[in-house]
Amino acid sequence: MTPARPVPDALVYDRVSLRHDGAAADAVGPVSLALREGERVLLLGPSGAGKSTLLLAATGLFPRSIPGACTGGIVLRGHPVTSRTPAEWADTCGFLFQDAAQTLAGFTVRDEISFGPENRCIAAARIPDLVAEAMRQAGIPQIWADRRISTLSGGERQSVALAALLAQGAPITLADEPAASLAPKAARRMADLLLAPGRTTMVVEHRPGPILDHIDRCVALGRDGRVLAEGAPHEVMARDGAALAEAGIALPLATRIHLDLPDLIDPRLPLRDALLRVPPAQARRLHDAVLPAPIPAGEILTTLDGADCAPAFGPVVLRDVSLTLRAGEVVAILGPNGAGKSTLAACLAGLLPPRAGRRTGAPGAVAFQNPEAHFSQESVRAEIAGLCHAPGRVAQIFDRWTLGEVAHQHPFTLSQGQKRRLSLALLAEADRWPVLILDEPTAGLDRAAETVLGRRIRALAREGRALAVITHDMDFALSVADRAVLVHRGAVQFDGPCPALMRDAARLSLAGLEPPEAAPVLNWLAATC
Amino acid sequence: MLRGFHPLPKLALCLAWIVASLIVFRLSFQVGLFVAATLLLLLDARVPPRRVLLLMVPFALFGFGFLTTSVLFRAESGFALQMAREQGAAPDVAPGLVLFFRVLACGMVSAVFALTTDPGQFVRALMQHLRLPAPLGFALMQSMHLVPDLRAEMLQLRMARAIRLGRPLRRVPAPGEAFALAIPLLAYAIRRATRAALSFEARGLQPGRARTHLPQPPIRRRDWVLLGVGGGVLALVLAVLPPGFA
Amino acid sequence: MPDHSVWTLRETLIVAVLGAVFGVLYLGWVQVWLVLQAIFGALTMDVVMGFWFIVSIIAAAIIRKPGVALVSEVMAAAVQVLLGSPAGLLLLLTGLVQGAGAEAVFAATRWKRYSVGVLMAAGMGAAVFSFAYTWIRFDYGSLAPGLLVAMFVLRLASGALLGGLLGHYIVKALYRTGVLSGLAIDRDARAAGA
Ligand SMILES: Nc1ncnc2c1ncn2[C@@H]1O[C@H](COP(=O)(O)OP(=O)(O)OP(=O)(O)O)[C@@H](O)[C@H]1O
Ligand SMILES: Nc1ncnc2c1ncn2[C@@H]1O[C@H](COP(=O)(O)OP(=O)(O)OP(=O)(O)O)[C@@H](O)[C@H]1O
Ligand SMILES: [Mg+2]
Ligand SMILES: [Mg+2]
Repeated sequence: MTPARPVPDALVYDRVSLRHDGAAADAVGPVSLALREGERVLLLGPSGAGKSTLLLAATGLFPRSIPGACTGGIVLRGHPVTSRTPAEWADTCGFLFQDAAQTLAGFTVRDEISFGPENRCIAAARIPDLVAEAMRQAGIPQIWADRRISTLSGGERQSVALAALLAQGAPITLADEPAASLAPKAARRMADLLLAPGRTTMVVEHRPGPILDHIDRCVALGRDGRVLAEGAPHEVMARDGAALAEAGIALPLATRIHLDLPDLIDPRLPLRDALLRVPPAQARRLHDAVLPAPIPAGEILTTLDGADCAPAFGPVVLRDVSLTLRAGEVVAILGPNGAGKSTLAACLAGLLPPRAGRRTGAPGAVAFQNPEAHFSQESVRAEIAGLCHAPGRVAQIFDRWTLGEVAHQHPFTLSQGQKRRLSLALLAEADRWPVLILDEPTAGLDRAAETVLGRRIRALAREGRALAVITHDMDFALSVADRAVLVHRGAVQFDGPCPALMRDAARLSLAGLEPPEAAPVLNWLAATC
Repeated sequence: MLRGFHPLPKLALCLAWIVASLIVFRLSFQVGLFVAATLLLLLDARVPPRRVLLLMVPFALFGFGFLTTSVLFRAESGFALQMAREQGAAPDVAPGLVLFFRVLACGMVSAVFALTTDPGQFVRALMQHLRLPAPLGFALMQSMHLVPDLRAEMLQLRMARAIRLGRPLRRVPAPGEAFALAIPLLAYAIRRATRAALSFEARGLQPGRARTHLPQPPIRRRDWVLLGVGGGVLALVLAVLPPGFA
Repeated sequence: MPDHSVWTLRETLIVAVLGAVFGVLYLGWVQVWLVLQAIFGALTMDVVMGFWFIVSIIAAAIIRKPGVALVSEVMAAAVQVLLGSPAGLLLLLTGLVQGAGAEAVFAATRWKRYSVGVLMAAGMGAAVFSFAYTWIRFDYGSLAPGLLVAMFVLRLASGALLGGLLGHYIVKALYRTGVLSGLAIDRDARAAGA
């Protein structure tokens, strides 16, 4: 066993099993793991493995406020978690919940950020400076102090949640997919803050690639809710990559390409160097590994003509937008947080009429950024039944989106990834919409589900539908979209082939985006072919 | 200008005028108060005229009940007559008309307070000066933020419903649709309360636990001046138009 | 076993939010009543009265703790006063009386039973209290006994149906939406099911 340490571990789970009220089986466990002081741990696991539940148990929010049962012992800084209330632990341990709207309470930005320090009894005179500093660090303009949370975009909310956490100033941070709806630059800022060397942080992420360098140790949970692999991040990826992929956990793209094409790409080399050794004759295989098969585009289904788009009850955020969507086309809509992508989605689908200009074409459907917006029934099964498909098709839907195990559950009790899958299934399996817009469909999805989604998007396009996909994941955009639209500074800045935009690092960087992990492959392909 | 005043004297003043409006059963007083509050909203709070009109719609609709009974059905609402008698009104005008303008007047005065006061500042003032317990204060703050958000949530629910049912979204909800949204809206309110409670707990709010406040502007001389002037005007008006107690 | 009398943070927030939402709905109901009254005459008030008791019944059936019925009804009344209810300031007293009527019935069950019957009884309790209150306020003693009985019966029925029964259905519909999980109503339902 480990020798006695002068400082106790920050957070220790000792054979912990957690079960939600009314659930037939444990959500997670038995799990034993420790977070040491000054250590940054990445918690990986397929959707539904119980990561969020595990984090919630760290200060006793589960089972004290979220009903359930907990066996095993949890020790925070040497004290059993049950020795204090969750509110008392707030001085020790701060949360970023998976849903930013859950971290916040729906007040104004200033009230949200000052709430934590006030509760910690920080001297009143110091609080304004704390608030201003937290806003500066999180990249929130100071003039937003009086804005209400409900008037912010999804990513802007996530930044405010980060500022609130920083101001709270707890030494231990538990962050559940903190960057899921952040554009790449904002996500990097978040990682630099949360995962600065010396911070004590446990972070859950489905896309480990961008943060791997900020991590000291990596723990992966398997589908059975037990620890599957543990160790230094690059070691785990190299050693247990296959097992992780099997469990549906996303790997960094380079690792994935290495796994897919072991004869082409030497797994011991960085991607850029490994590419130098690929014979040009093999370009086709490499091309197919990162780019989708082309689909002939059909007639125009929807047009925006000089449209001014505004969010509901908000000001115009996009001016003079002219766009078309064709049958058989998949368009990626990209842009920094708050650029107006979700607003554009509602306009394109005809849900919000443009303030000026015209929209023509058949009405479309949007899979909203917040999956809960689509739920109206008492169970997952009833939601799917609402699609009115034959029994065979229903079984196929459950199978495809792996919702079978939770069919009896209430949609609001699902894990975030399960919620996302359900909301996507409700839209992508309804046959009535010629135009379909998916707003950040990969947020919260594990690798397995992302693959299913990508295939489904291509299949729908081949059926002759027009699809638009809003995403911050450049690699996903590259793998499903033929065309890309970049919105930034209130206008469309680029509308053209997706790979062309992805190779334009300067343009991406101007809009707060970054090239995909597959950029070296794109460059290689361009140079070779 | 009103925005810069301390919330508590402002609240006291608004409450005083609302109480006056409730006990002075006279058309002139109600119309005067309504016009004054609307002007304050337009000129001082700089609320766009369109928004002020929209704000009036629910109050007007509701006050309209008194008018419909007296105009449409050519009968004064029994309740309005009762109110008039009880409050010793001179029966020179239709009591329904007075009640109609009273609803508008009170509604606009409340709107003046709500639109010129930051809920955070208001709740903190209550906690600081009137010793309101923090959980109650933040529960109040949640209600104050919830009511305006209901509108956006309603639209979101309608969009999702339109997508589910495969119909284009109508501009104005049909009565049946509005009815079908009642339970989801209530559920939203409760869900939001639940999530807020979890967020409060995770960030350290606990009944009885000591906490500090973001520093708030103190009650200054000009706040007393506002209180004095507003109260003085009210006293003057009341001297000319005494409350109509029987 | 959770403490039976102290409200948790979540329960406090729910009472506040319900009070605010129903305060607004109650104002809308005044409109319905006025139109109906113009058509059907004076007794209408007793017929529609029950709806104004509903928040105390819904909140109590969800949270099942002392004081919930009373506070939620007063909260709704306060919201109405701020928005300019025609009944004026006295509405606060009205809310207090109606809330106390419902609370009294729940107190009689020691805040333990919330079946349809009890909810309807709570609506009737609020009706009885409010009848006594309007009796004093509007001097009902001078009315014909036959009319009084009719008014009383109508108001009781309204309290039971528009307050208790409708409240029960709304609570059931809310329960199905899953938002009540972890609250007293959910714990009791699970205990009964287990
Ligand atoms: N209130 C509840 N009642 C019953 N089951 C629940 C409840 N909440 C969550 N679950 C189930 O517990 C399991 C673990 O959920 P959890 O949210 O911890 O997963 P997760 O690992 O965070 O997944 P994701 O990556 O999708 O967020 C899921 O299968 C979920 O359906
Ligand atoms: N009701 C509103 N009132 C005022 N401004 C609003 C309102 N709703 C949204 N906005 C603003 O409009 C802009 C566009 O919002 P939108 O949700 O379309 O952004 P987005 O591109 O989808 O961002 P994200 O990637 O973060 O989801 C944001 O800057 C947001 O702050
Ligand atoms: Mg999760
Ligand atoms: Mg968005």
